[in-house]
Amino acid sequence: MRERVVFDDLEIGEIALELDDKEPQEVVAWALETFGDRVAVVTALQAEGMAVLDMAYRILPQVQVITVDTGRLPQATYAFLDQVRERYPEATFRVLFPDYREVEKMVARHGVNLFYRSVDLRLLCCHIRKVRPLVRALEGLDGWFTGLRREQWASRAAIRKVELDHDHGGIVKVNPLADWTKQEVWEYLEANGVPHHPLYDRGYSSIGCDPCTRPIQPGEDDRAGRWWWEVNAPKECGIHCPIETGGFEHEVEAILGRGA
Amino acid sequence: MAEMVREGLVEQVREEGLRLPQPSWELVLRRNSIERLKLEKHPLDIRSELPELIAKGYEAVPEEDIVRLNWWGVTHDKPKVGTFMVRVKIPGGLVTPAQLAALARISREYGRGYAELTTRQGIQLHWVRLEALPEVLEAVEAAGLSTAGGEGDTVRNITSCPVAGIDPAELFDVRPVVEAAARFFYGNRDYSNLPRKHKYTISACPAQCNAPEIHDVALVGAVKDGRPGFALRVGGGLSATPRISRDIGVFIPLEPVEGVIEVLRAVTDVWQEDLRYRVSRAKARIKFMLDDYGPEGFRRLLENRLGVCLEDFTCPPPVGRADHLGLHPQRQEGYFYLGVPVPAGRASADQLEGLAEVVGEIGGDVRFTREQNFIVGWVPEERVSWLEEALRRLGLDPERNPLYGTSTACTSHQFCNYSVAETKEKLEEILAELEERFGTQLEGLTLYVDGCPHACAHHWVGEIGLQGTTTTEAATGRRVEAYNVALGGGLGTRAAIGRVVLKRVPSGEVGEAVSRLVGAWLEARKVRGSHYSFQDFCRERTDEELQALALGRVAAEGRGAGVVLRIFGPFLELAGGADHLELEGGTVREVLEAARRTYPALVEAILTPEGQVSTAANIYLGEEDIRSLQGLETPVRPGQEVVVLPAMSGG
Repeated sequence: MRERVVFDDLEIGEIALELDDKEPQEVVAWALETFGDRVAVVTALQAEGMAVLDMAYRILPQVQVITVDTGRLPQATYAFLDQVRERYPEATFRVLFPDYREVEKMVARHGVNLFYRSVDLRLLCCHIRKVRPLVRALEGLDGWFTGLRREQWASRAAIRKVELDHDHGGIVKVNPLADWTKQEVWEYLEANGVPHHPLYDRGYSSIGCDPCTRPIQPGEDDRAGRWWWEVNAPKECGIHCPIETGGFEHEVEAILGRGA
Repeated sequence: MAEMVREGLVEQVREEGLRLPQPSWELVLRRNSIERLKLEKHPLDIRSELPELIAKGYEAVPEEDIVRLNWWGVTHDKPKVGTFMVRVKIPGGLVTPAQLAALARISREYGRGYAELTTRQGIQLHWVRLEALPEVLEAVEAAGLSTAGGEGDTVRNITSCPVAGIDPAELFDVRPVVEAAARFFYGNRDYSNLPRKHKYTISACPAQCNAPEIHDVALVGAVKDGRPGFALRVGGGLSATPRISRDIGVFIPLEPVEGVIEVLRAVTDVWQEDLRYRVSRAKARIKFMLDDYGPEGFRRLLENRLGVCLEDFTCPPPVGRADHLGLHPQRQEGYFYLGVPVPAGRASADQLEGLAEVVGEIGGDVRFTREQNFIVGWVPEERVSWLEEALRRLGLDPERNPLYGTSTACTSHQFCNYSVAETKEKLEEILAELEERFGTQLEGLTLYVDGCPHACAHHWVGEIGLQGTTTTEAATGRRVEAYNVALGGGLGTRAAIGRVVLKRVPSGEVGEAVSRLVGAWLEARKVRGSHYSFQDFCRERTDEELQALALGRVAAEGRGAGVVLRIFGPFLELAGGADHLELEGGTVREVLEAARRTYPALVEAILTPEGQVSTAANIYLGEEDIRSLQGLETPVRPGQEVVVLPAMSGG
């Protein structure tokens, strides 16, 4: 492994200006060149993550790919994961699993389907099964790729293509697709023969854990596809990449307390 | 999409040749979802839809509409479960007692009795529920204030010198210009679809206390050939891409005031019409236009837009002290103004109400400052001690350590969705510690604490600037709050962006790190004199030296790259409080010469002008006196220690 690469806000701020009007591939290339094996594609295998993975693989086939097996994923996701590994044989896949002691403690206390009972319990479940393993993995990195796009959420429209992730120890968060539209992502997948998650073809707009995700009808809000039973959930926890934006951890800390 | 192009924004044709290549509106709308959001429905129009949104309930309000509410100074609190921050604009920070009383009442009724003074001389409430917004906005307006454009792509609160109109040193009374600009721009739809936020400051304070260096647009008071007017600076700003504003090199006469407003409009228009700054919000601020066009190119566009040439002029440098704290005589005979520090800018509704009452009683007014304090204006001489006593009873002690007045903190992670660490609480904790250790010696030191790189509390230009981040605690593996520490920033005569010297200092250790640095500076100041600022102290030291001082460790340990010069006794003061220095050199003399570059006074005390060891010093290499070796020519290796002891008996 190379030595740690640490930037401060001023350095990364100017680099972000340089990269702002560059194509996603150029941003990916910059990150791989800068961080080598200390940057990883972190993805739940959704369309954006697959596009970034494909771009990175074309530059550095050994690229590190991190995904979280929460233990509650749909069968289709496990099947797709194998398909992705076959398609990108040289990539270094890390499939993270939650800490079994934390899961057992949570389940002993609240049951296995706690997320249906309250927003707090759903957040707790997300936290233990998905976020904590991810945060542990990020601690060993100097940078990570996300599939964040500016148009996904109106209050995040100013995200930079590279920025310091102060929610995760100040490592560099690389958002190569920041200014792409959803259409551009899908066009990229098609043009490059990148596989996409099969649940998209069955009406899913976002793909997560099996009990918490469902297909939506045409014209229906994306929000209807995730945690549709909840009332009074904090905004932005409903859809779209809350962990990548840091929003999830802010909400969890504010709602469940700092010790969460 | 060509038909979607807005009226009034297509006048670029006659500027061809002056402009850099322009992207198309189609590209702008494809790349920038906020441009789409603004085009679909003007954000200011959301106000009339509030009853519908309330009926729908917070959860069902689309995020796009919440973003539009920004244009009315309204934004999510954290967590996003239905309460909001409401930001009130106060031109120049000037409020009457009646307005202050109204703000106190609104805070008590709708905002849990809490308020924050902001670095834009405004005031912010929190905890306001969606269903209360119509009443709150109306109550603010009934008090003669406004929230229009408090956030969003608008002209934000216009700041000024808080003692405008009463300061004996001011060049002229700038209030009519500030008021005219606020009247024209606040809520003006032609200036509410800008590429991004836009910050004006207008003042005639010779100290330039209003930070023109970090504003998008600054009118800097000046006098040219006996005529009052302004220099123009454009393109300053902080966040992760700080820029010091550029002097456009022109003079704008004070009269007529409409002419000044005309120039402000033109400055903003040449930017808002340039589509280069609408493609990406990360590059939308006017500072990036100055990066691209330079001050000369910008001036050509401006003059072309105005249809006249402006007079050449150079922006005058700031003169004098900028915080206006304490008691000062006014321009008006028999009156004083009194600047009062407010810790972290936090005030309760009770305090605001009490303040309104006592200030009303003496016929004065209140002025909020950039550093989150307030000034009471128009205090009759005979009421000064009465007022001071009344303020003390409200917990607003005018004699509080002035350090509380030269420190700021952003809204903090309690409320803000960007902040990752506590700021107001942390600031108060550090201030209490500094006060306990160093008392009142710290007057003038600026300490700004932010929770994210956006720098609402201006940490990049604090002498000490803390920015929240997170790190992993080595012992437990837990994620903990931490701070990056930037040192040596400043404004006014000392304008500079701080250097990030320490990264990811855990929250529990950052206070001690700051204390050590401040302690070392005070030691050095004893030698260098009272003018020697913390910024001076930082400028004279490398990052490595400052890190070693802050973390209380021996620079050589674990590195071994240099020779350690260890000093004792009276020599300590001459080395700025450092008890050791890590230096390069092949002989004792070379090591001392290396030290001379940073600490000339230290080496002058050790060596005579002829270059011999002074009778006041004994020098050892390890255990050996160098006189028994080869004197100053004794060879040294990295990792070895050269020790300088004071000669007790005069040698």
